[in-house]
Amino acid sequence: MIVASVGNVLVWAVWVVAAFACLGSAVAVVSFSNPFYSALALIGNLGSLAVLYLLLSSEFVAAAQVLVYAGAVMVMFLFVIAYVGPRTESPWTGGPNWQAIGSVLAAGALLVEIVVVIGLKAGGALAHSHDVGGAFGTPSYIGRLFLTDHLLAFEITSIVLLVAAIGGVILGAHSRTVHADEVPPL
Amino acid sequence: MIYGAWICLLSPLAAAGLITLAGERISRRGAGYLATLSCFVAFGGAVATFVGLLGRDGEQRSIVSTAWTWISGGSYRSGFEVMIDPLSVFMMLIVSGVGALIVAYSIGYMDGDKEERRYFAYMALFVFSMLLLVQGGNLLLLLAGWGMVGLSSYLLIGFWHERPAAIAAAKKAFIMNAIGDATMALALFLLIKKAGSLEFGILGGEYSSTVATLVALGLLGGAVAKSAQLPLQTWLPDAMEGPTPVSALIHAATMVTAGVYLIVRTHAIFESAPHVADLAAGLGAGTLLVAGLVALVQVDIKRVIAYSTMSQIGYMFLGVGLGAYANGMFHLMTHAFFKALLFMAAGIVIHALANEQDIRKMGGLRQLMPRTYLAFLIGSLALVGIFPFAGFFSKDSILAAALDRGAYGYVLWVAGLAGTFLTGLYTFRLLFLVFWGEPSPFVREHFHALKSNAVGLSLAVPVAILAVLSVVGGWIQWAPLWHPIETWLQTAAEPTVSPENWQEWVTSALALLFGIGGMYFAWLFYGARERRSVPRFAFAQRVLEHKFYFDELYDALFYRPTVWIAKGLYRWVEDPLVDESSTSLGQDTRDLGRLVARAQTGLLRTYALAIASSVAVLAVVFVAVK
Amino acid sequence: MGPNTAWYLGVAGFLFGVGTLGVLIRRNPLIVLLSLEIMLNGANLALIAFARHLNNGDGQIFALTVMAVAASEVVVGLGLIVALNRKRVPLDVDRLSSLRG
Repeated sequence: MIVASVGNVLVWAVWVVAAFACLGSAVAVVSFSNPFYSALALIGNLGSLAVLYLLLSSEFVAAAQVLVYAGAVMVMFLFVIAYVGPRTESPWTGGPNWQAIGSVLAAGALLVEIVVVIGLKAGGALAHSHDVGGAFGTPSYIGRLFLTDHLLAFEITSIVLLVAAIGGVILGAHSRTVHADEVPPL
Repeated sequence: MIYGAWICLLSPLAAAGLITLAGERISRRGAGYLATLSCFVAFGGAVATFVGLLGRDGEQRSIVSTAWTWISGGSYRSGFEVMIDPLSVFMMLIVSGVGALIVAYSIGYMDGDKEERRYFAYMALFVFSMLLLVQGGNLLLLLAGWGMVGLSSYLLIGFWHERPAAIAAAKKAFIMNAIGDATMALALFLLIKKAGSLEFGILGGEYSSTVATLVALGLLGGAVAKSAQLPLQTWLPDAMEGPTPVSALIHAATMVTAGVYLIVRTHAIFESAPHVADLAAGLGAGTLLVAGLVALVQVDIKRVIAYSTMSQIGYMFLGVGLGAYANGMFHLMTHAFFKALLFMAAGIVIHALANEQDIRKMGGLRQLMPRTYLAFLIGSLALVGIFPFAGFFSKDSILAAALDRGAYGYVLWVAGLAGTFLTGLYTFRLLFLVFWGEPSPFVREHFHALKSNAVGLSLAVPVAILAVLSVVGGWIQWAPLWHPIETWLQTAAEPTVSPENWQEWVTSALALLFGIGGMYFAWLFYGARERRSVPRFAFAQRVLEHKFYFDELYDALFYRPTVWIAKGLYRWVEDPLVDESSTSLGQDTRDLGRLVARAQTGLLRTYALAIASSVAVLAVVFVAVK
Repeated sequence: MGPNTAWYLGVAGFLFGVGTLGVLIRRNPLIVLLSLEIMLNGANLALIAFARHLNNGDGQIFALTVMAVAASEVVVGLGLIVALNRKRVPLDVDRLSSLRG
């Protein structure tokens, strides 16, 4: 019991920290004027998300998140930001224009709706989650699913990646720097 | 005989078509020869038909030959058919005969004109149309011919289309004729409704007096318009803008007499509506007086002759309105001879004086053009009705018929006699002014005689033929003594009046007296060596010069209100609704497009905002619906 | 134990909203792409949360596919930005409005 309650408190504590880090870094991404800082904030966001995935028993996805997103995608971003150069621009310059107001309203409305749906409509359906086995979220579990139930998605995804790689080469042709064309590890 | 009738009808049409299709490949003179030839062929066909009809008995002298069924709708059936009976053959001979002579004359008259081919095509078309009118086997074809002669008249009056006066005159003629066409069409509609067909036989059927009156009125309207009688007479003097042979053929000999033919052909319905017949006679009497008076002050040589035509047709209307059909038709024939003669002689004078038509500038042409003078003299004597020339026999019998009609007839008789006086007066005024006296300065300067070449021949020979006819043509019927024309036309139109012989003699004597009286007064004022000055009555002079103000009346009554309405409609209806609507359609579409295009900002953020907002709204909708 | 699925979903929704705000507000296309990533991550979190909730591995598969596609999209997007930069076009989405009506 104590172990369980201690475990519970631990889980909650980790969750609160990770959640707030996630949210805070998201707001930071949107708010910083220097794109470099925004990219760094996003890395933090991705990291905290990985923690949340761990809390949800999805180890493989958490690892992939760190390796692919934070590792490869963000590095690409940082490369380009460095290449493009310093460019600061604050979203709140020029005073409140109708685009800004409209955006805040739209985003706010979406948020409220999501909260309403989760809170009110979903009702008790979200209260009790099923029990998961120990194998849930392991690489073997994921691998088996990929190669049996979701083989088509697997193959198509690889083609998408190939096309993106080609696109990247074409777009980047005649450039002095070569971007890191990546093949995400699976 | 039937072939003769069809050849008569179709030969001028063939000529018109060939000239039109040949275009420039045929020479101008060649077109003239072709047209003339076709008219002579038509005359030959008419003669053949006449001979054929002679061989038959009276009762069998009405044949209808159908080419094919032209219109067939519901219970109404109408064939393209040709009527061969004494009346139609009579008209065929006149139309094709006089027409051929006039078309031959045109070869010389129109020589050198740039558009000769068009002229001869139109003339051939006219001859065909007139023949269709008189040969048509039912009222529908008669109406078709009626309209086509109106068209040909329009085309020929406005032949010299660079002259605005000619164009205006052509339009005036056509529009006034259209009024007559409209009333005729209404009459035919009524006939179709009541009788179910438009064959000539139905005219003798039983109709209520209202229907008969309406039909007769409608037909009379058409006749009045076509024959330039009161009140639709104002187009005829203006029609003199056309070439002189046109005036001779269309506005003297044939087209304007179509109204008389119509009344005779449809005499049965006029007999069923006696008031309308009396109206016709009255209109004829009125016209002959009005025209005679106006002719006294005209200074254009062709206009004098035009008014005299109007006046003589008034006589014909008088005759057929009273029921003296044969007399009316006889006068139509003699009038065709001497009126065409007068016009053609006048045409020679005009040509010799370099197209001058004002008689005040002329004078003393008697010495310079003796043969033309002789022809003109013969025509004038025939017109006034002096024994033994043609007009004597025909005109007097009409007047005598008026005596057989009671009190109303007496009034008409007096009017007719007064008209004879006027006829003598204005005809010889014209003759004396143009031919007698010393050659005027204008004449001395501009006169050039006709040469004796093909042109001169073509001008001279038809005139000579018509002069001979004007002398002898009247002898064919001298009412008290012998009347073959009346007998000939009896099967087609039985006269309803027959004056006594003594009435004939008295009328002839009086008419002769009045005619010579008119000639004497004309000699007094215009011909004698010591001319008496013409008495001037300023008011009368003004009224006559304005032709009794008919043109001004019609202008105020019809033309101005129509123009006012048209202008109003243009301003209030057409411009804002029709014109503006099409431009505003384009304009408004463009404005709407511009308005909508403002949504295309090209900015990514706007589009994204639109998507996000829509999602937000849709989410609410889905949640609410669920 | 721990917060139930609703809390995770709340976080995911918040992420999504913040990402949308960023896409709509920012003018630098790089920041726009970053905000887009945030939105995708929010969706991923929702997917994983539901997978855990329903004991169904499909959510994780989907999340991994989303990750792969997002990576490809970033490749192409960044390539575009680099190309724009080479052409000396100003990197401001408000100035890239040649499709204006």
